[in-house]
Amino acid sequence: MSKFQRFLLKRLAISVLLTLVAVSVIFVVLRLLPGSPFEALVTSGNLNQEQIDEIRAMYGLDQSIWKQYINYLGSLLTFQFGYSILRSQPVWEVLEPRLINSLILLVPALVTTAILSSVLGMYAGWNRGSRLEKASIVSTTLLRSTPVFITAIFFIIVFAYNLEIVPALGMRSIRATPDGYLETFVSLDFLHHYLLPFTVAVLYYSGDFLLLARNGVVEKRGSEFLKLHRAKGLTEMEQLARAGRNSMLPILTYFTLRLGMIFQGLILLEVVFSWPGIGRELVLAIQQQDYPLVQAAVFIMALAVIIANLAADVLYAYFDPTVSTNGGGSA
Amino acid sequence: MTLLNVENLKVTYATDDETVHAVNDVSFSIDEGVNYGLAGESGSGKSTVAEALLGLLPGNGTVERGTIEFNGTDLTSLSEAERRDVLWEDIAYIPQSAMDSLDPVMSTGDQIAQAIHTHRNVTDAKARDRVRELFEIVGLDPDRIDNYPHEFSGGMRQRVTIAMALALEPDLIIADEPTTGLDVIVQDKIIDKILEIQERMDSSLLLITHEIGVIAETCDDLSILYGGKVMEQGSVDNVLVNPTNPYTMGLKNSFPEIDENEDPVAIPGSPPNLNREPTACVFEDRCPFATDECGESHPDLVDLPNRNHRSACHRVKEAAQLRRDADEPETWNIPDDGDADSDRGEVILETDALEKHYEQSQPLLSKLRGEDPDYVKAVDGVSLSVRRSEVLGVAGESGCGKSTLGETMALLEDPTGGDFMFDGEPYEYYRDGNLQEFRRKVQIIFQDPFDSLNPRQTVRKLVGEPLTIHDYRTDEKERAIVETLEKVGLTPAEKFLDQYPHELSGGQRQRVAVAKALVLDPDFLICDEPASMLDVSLKVNLLNLLRGLADAEDIGIVYISHDLASLMQVSDRLAIMYLGRVIEEGDVDRIASQPRHPYTSSLLSAAPEKDPTADRTRVLLEGEPPDPVDLPSGCAFAPRCPKAQGSCWEAEPAIDEIGDETHRAACYFPKGEEGLNASDASAVDETKFPESANTDSVGD
Ligand SMILES: Nc1ncnc2c1ncn2[C@@H]1O[C@H](COP(=O)(O)OP(=O)(O)O)[C@@H](O)[C@H]1O
Ligand code: SF4
Ligand code: SF4
Ligand SMILES: [Mg+2]
Repeated sequence: MSKFQRFLLKRLAISVLLTLVAVSVIFVVLRLLPGSPFEALVTSGNLNQEQIDEIRAMYGLDQSIWKQYINYLGSLLTFQFGYSILRSQPVWEVLEPRLINSLILLVPALVTTAILSSVLGMYAGWNRGSRLEKASIVSTTLLRSTPVFITAIFFIIVFAYNLEIVPALGMRSIRATPDGYLETFVSLDFLHHYLLPFTVAVLYYSGDFLLLARNGVVEKRGSEFLKLHRAKGLTEMEQLARAGRNSMLPILTYFTLRLGMIFQGLILLEVVFSWPGIGRELVLAIQQQDYPLVQAAVFIMALAVIIANLAADVLYAYFDPTVSTNGGGSA
Repeated sequence: MTLLNVENLKVTYATDDETVHAVNDVSFSIDEGVNYGLAGESGSGKSTVAEALLGLLPGNGTVERGTIEFNGTDLTSLSEAERRDVLWEDIAYIPQSAMDSLDPVMSTGDQIAQAIHTHRNVTDAKARDRVRELFEIVGLDPDRIDNYPHEFSGGMRQRVTIAMALALEPDLIIADEPTTGLDVIVQDKIIDKILEIQERMDSSLLLITHEIGVIAETCDDLSILYGGKVMEQGSVDNVLVNPTNPYTMGLKNSFPEIDENEDPVAIPGSPPNLNREPTACVFEDRCPFATDECGESHPDLVDLPNRNHRSACHRVKEAAQLRRDADEPETWNIPDDGDADSDRGEVILETDALEKHYEQSQPLLSKLRGEDPDYVKAVDGVSLSVRRSEVLGVAGESGCGKSTLGETMALLEDPTGGDFMFDGEPYEYYRDGNLQEFRRKVQIIFQDPFDSLNPRQTVRKLVGEPLTIHDYRTDEKERAIVETLEKVGLTPAEKFLDQYPHELSGGQRQRVAVAKALVLDPDFLICDEPASMLDVSLKVNLLNLLRGLADAEDIGIVYISHDLASLMQVSDRLAIMYLGRVIEEGDVDRIASQPRHPYTSSLLSAAPEKDPTADRTRVLLEGEPPDPVDLPSGCAFAPRCPKAQGSCWEAEPAIDEIGDETHRAACYFPKGEEGLNASDASAVDETKFPESANTDSVGD
């Protein structure tokens, strides 16, 4: 087994362990929440005790907590999320389209901002002290420190209500009845709805990448190897590219981690824009104490984080020739 | 024909509160195919000159005036793009610190290929072929061109930068301290390589270094720089044999050499403040020959009659007399304490087969299977003893276990085997509850001691701190501090008590660091490369200080270094280490004049000499020391040994294989066995140029 394989195996094992822990935590926390999804139905008097017991049995809620836990583990880990209590629909059928909706908004936004802001950040760092550098730092810091829903509302007021360039809410107009993803996403109407939340997401993420890239380049700027590159006759831009390549690792790692946290980060954004994504769905499900739905949504989010962490480690090891892949054993 | 002509170059740096006049009207010219040396202490402006030539000055550096004519074109008047075409194609650069001059995330081969692609229109395959060829030329394995910098050792990285410099066969190679920080053997190999290649390609070389020994051996012409001014210039044979400038004389006298009986004489004081245009001779405040005239103007560089030799000194006419005086330590205000070889006292520290093995980390699976881990044998059976008033030098290449030995002797590392006695008590005595006592009696001084001084503490605080920690002489703290400061030559001590480290010169700071170690009146001092980053004059100061302490204070000292010349100056006895073992040990004079072990001979022959007329035969060692894991049975040096024979591989020679108490070595076929020392050709060549000859040469 090569060093790298060993490293990979170790990281995988850690990830599996983490997933188990995360899943268990979700289980415990949900059971600790006060009330149950049926209480509302019971207090409204629509169901009698017998019916309740029946339903509880149907959802397996009458079994011992251990039994429930085992069943729960079994089904989650095989991606059988069960039925949504309130929607009477398989959970996955509820979540799948919303997951896609979220991804279609957030992944392109994250990629765009990662590329644009990093390049801008590198350029700013190279021209340290220039007006561009100062302006970019001030504006991104401002954007980063403002809560995303405020930026979002501000954009809605300006571009949707005042200028009326784009619609304020939703993903498609109410009248649209698209069939299948292709029809949903490949349409001008969608693009129209897409622009505003996309822009806000791009701006929201830009600060971290910009600062990370700028700091990386500033730190590399006076280094000896760049002097040698300069002596070799590389142009300014080629030198900047080398400085950039040398500060890529933290950016790459950060990108991967951000990708994992993509759903959590912008739940509020989805809520403000009424974007039918997984974040907004989670908020609704929590309000309605729809256990299976919440469980599944949280599980998917946790899994994304864990997988992203794994990917970040592996990418790091792959891209940094100096990182030791034997798990830091050779101290 | 003149290749490079620098005329009245002036470079300044803008800093927050002042302008640094780093290079002041420097002129020199390099002919085609010539090796040109640029020497001087650090801060004299050598690197600034190089960077100005290459157009690599940092953002705050400006070329104020002057011309740099290369092959007839003035480089200072070129546009960015035009200059880029000249760089590397015509002028290549070997940077100062190979350790971090290579791009860490680009393979070494690609970095060289990049230089080729930037200037030539060639295919990738062609460029790769060229890189392989270059690797071969500089003595690297061509199959390693895809390796990254961190996979190479310091010396090998320097070879990569050399290969890069050769890629386009430039007319001029500028090498800025290409060997500083590398140990003698590697340094010697690198210099040899540069010379060999440069000869083959017939390019010119501008070699920048503070080691005039390296210049003496490799260059034809040189300039001596001080305070951004050229102090003396001309052919190496003239300048270094018969220096006419007091600074050159001082620099030359302070360069320690192995086969020299006199102690080197350091230039006292520190380099000038460059915050204004020089109005007096830049060397005035350190020069023992300064007169009123010297305070009025900096002397012009004047041609000396009939020879390639220029000097900037108002008293150049009296050069011969000055030269004679400069050899006397009194001239430089250094008391000559003579060679009072004080009697050595009783044995204070003794090790017997001392071992320090580190367990190598191993994979979980083999751990589960219970396989025996590998051990790195950093120190492997070292038996040494040090007496009071004695300085024991420990020498060896980097990685040979010197530092681990020092740390184990200081009990900063627990020995994994062997016996250890200090002051009559065994290791166990100290381990079980008496470590505090040991820590007071044994002090260790690390590499670059003044980096470790807290900048926010006054000298009083710094030196007093150990007293508080050890609750030693706390009732008369002030007196203890003052006494110690005076002991290390910081007089009057009261003047220094309230100063902060940044207000002191490099040499003074270093004395404070030594004072910190001495304030507890230790019985034993372990110094690990304390001078490796220092300029010659500071280095010599430190060596003299330690030597004096050993004699006057009755303490035992272990001095660890890769710099044999310094070791020879300071030590009574020498132990040569190779791969965790001592392979030769004995009195300094005997080892210097008659090394027995082949490894010692090559170490000795690798040290440069400052006398350009002396010839030295190089014994270049193949390869680098292997990792001290899984060593072959038999003599550990056998794979690199020029004299190895079949029997060497069978059993390991013990340290007392040959010789007696005063000089012993671990070798089956030692030097000097065949004929006696006269035939010892590969050791240091003894023929020295008669120093007094030609003293009547200048102006009288
Ligand atoms: N970037 C810089 N900013 C300000 N001062 C500098 C800078 N680089 C070098 N100096 C100063 O210029 C002088 C010459 O430095 P340098 O050329 O590096 O000398 P050397 O190479 O001989 O050690 C020193 O006094 C140093 O402190
Ligand atoms: S000019 Fe004066 S101060 Fe300068 S080196 Fe000569 S004698 Fe010394
Ligand atoms: S014992 Fe043999 S291999 Fe070892 S140093 Fe002596 S001659 Fe060389
Ligand atoms: Mg320098």
